[in-house]
Amino acid sequence: MQIEREIVFPASPAEVWEALTEPERLEEWFATEVELDAQPGGIGVFRWGDGDERRAVVREAEPEERLVLDWEDEGQVVLELDEVDGGTRVRVVERSPEWSTALELHALAWVAVA
Amino acid sequence: MGRGRVEHVFDALGDPGRRSLVEAVASRGSATATELAAGLPVTRQAVAKQLAALADAGLLRSTRAGRETRYEVTPEPLGDAVAWMVDMGATWDGRLDRLGRALAKGRAAR
Repeated sequence: MQIEREIVFPASPAEVWEALTEPERLEEWFATEVELDAQPGGIGVFRWGDGDERRAVVREAEPEERLVLDWEDEGQVVLELDEVDGGTRVRVVERSPEWSTALELHALAWVAVA
Repeated sequence: MGRGRVEHVFDALGDPGRRSLVEAVASRGSATATELAAGLPVTRQAVAKQLAALADAGLLRSTRAGRETRYEVTPEPLGDAVAWMVDMGATWDGRLDRLGRALAKGRAAR
């Protein structure tokens, strides 16, 4: 099971990468308190105002191109950057491994049935 | 959603025969093994066994109707998965909206 989002920001890949990887920038949009070592094997700790905390390990970090975080509890988030006319396209894929792709197909079939 | 429950649902729906039975029950609203077997080249007993397996997985709900068991579909087992998609989708919509504003602010500050 996964969700996908794609959006183009009027900013350079370097600016977007900074907003995706520097803790003080991440605190502007992702979580209330962020610690992140944005290199493969690096640890991320994200805290929200409601007391929620999630930890992650950086699986991949290719500057201005691709960032992959494995959540400690479950799932993975992939952020891909592409330079396009007018800015940078950001593609987000968040996956929850508990639901297999096959089950997802069944879920779709189910929706069609219900 | 527990892993065990997901696998249970997955196993129950992994068999094409069972999937078509779920569809048959859904299209009729409710059905008994006798009613379903009437239109299929299988015995009532075989259909009853598959229906019981689907009920065990939580995909069908059963009620006794005289000497027969009547089944109807329960969409709840997959409800958790759908809820996750909706919640996570909304979360990312909010994040990307804030990211856009953070980037604009970063630009203005340069």
